[in-house]
Amino acid sequence: MLFLAYPQWRLGMHRRSFALSKTKNMKTKKTIAIIGATGNMGSAISKSLSKGNYRLLLKANEEDKLDVLVKEIESIQTKAEVGVAVCPAEAGWEADIIILALPFGAEKEVAKKIKEVANQKIVISISNPLNETFDGLVTASDTSAAEELQKLLPNSKVIKAFNTTFAADFSSPVIDGKQVDAFIAGNDEEALQTVSELVTTAGFNPIVAGDLSISRTLESMQLLLIQLGIKYNYNWLAGWKILHN
Amino acid sequence: MYELFFQNFNTKVALTKEEETLIKNYLIPKKLRKKQYLLQENEVCKSYAFIEKGALRAYSVDDSGNEHIIQFGIEGWIVSDLYSFLTGEPATYNIDALEDSELVLISKTAHEELLQKLPKYETFTRLNITGAYIAMQKRLTSIISSPLEERYTNFTKAYPEIIQRVPQHMIASYMGLTPETLSRIRKRISAK
Repeated sequence: MLFLAYPQWRLGMHRRSFALSKTKNMKTKKTIAIIGATGNMGSAISKSLSKGNYRLLLKANEEDKLDVLVKEIESIQTKAEVGVAVCPAEAGWEADIIILALPFGAEKEVAKKIKEVANQKIVISISNPLNETFDGLVTASDTSAAEELQKLLPNSKVIKAFNTTFAADFSSPVIDGKQVDAFIAGNDEEALQTVSELVTTAGFNPIVAGDLSISRTLESMQLLLIQLGIKYNYNWLAGWKILHN
Repeated sequence: MYELFFQNFNTKVALTKEEETLIKNYLIPKKLRKKQYLLQENEVCKSYAFIEKGALRAYSVDDSGNEHIIQFGIEGWIVSDLYSFLTGEPATYNIDALEDSELVLISKTAHEELLQKLPKYETFTRLNITGAYIAMQKRLTSIISSPLEERYTNFTKAYPEIIQRVPQHMIASYMGLTPETLSRIRKRISAK
């Protein structure tokens, strides 16, 4: 169609243009909002993802800690694009991907705040809905933290990720000589692909475990790992690795 | 977040409240900062952008690294690499923000679903594309056959807001001129 023509018809009147192009062939930076960025998982994820080609927007209640975190990231990764958001809704509005680095109990409140701006966007659930004594999950067996979040955000693409990796794993994604597997689950193919790339950036080996209901298994798995870690003193540096043919 | 979008939609084809709610399910609200990219060339353009607030530009880059602005967009306009959006081929345009902007994005998947589910959306799409085609034809004709002064005067009459919000060297790029040539033309016009 005519209006899709390239600009060759300009007849060469404009040899010089004032500005030279920015870096060609770089993928457009996606913006990732990390809510709860100053928590153990939040700061581990923030530091880890700052290595990748992403723009990070961090939000946390403790503003002083947040400023310290931003400065830390800027000193480790000089090319990193990191900013602070004033509230989860603002962060979510600018974001392409939203990571809730929050305990399960805090998700409902934040989900309400971001629901509108998270429309059609990827929202990552990292939580393990453990009870207070760490001997069971608070979610019923026919659901999971991820699926509960999906109910709260029906138009978002909820993906389960990073729930089977401890915060310390992000600094050592290779444990005992093996790269840690990181399982992800979700219903949207493209979203799973995008999140796999995040997992790779973090240094783990991404494994798509299945649709969002598989989160039930993933959250139970982590309950087991936490219990074993306490029993056998893994010191919160442990992960899963599937041995296979 | 979607006021202007639905105002614009309703001007083209009137929606019921239910239909608005249906469409809302598919919309992506996206805030873009000044100079942030929405799309870079060689990527596939996976959504088109309706500008709720702010200003965008779409430009190509030639082999010498020079930028050529194809299109500006301000409130109420739609910007995309339509070729890439429709065919799934790599984009030839780069799109970035000239000001902090609020956009309403519609993904290809959402677009296809809405085309199936809502005949009024098809009307909306048709009117957008025919409008774009008409504008492109006018522009092409004017570039090929109008004298530079006339082209500039017509542009300032049609889009005074853009002249105010966009730096002159970008207007020059859009018109296919060097900034110096555009300066000369503007002087000639004001001397008349």
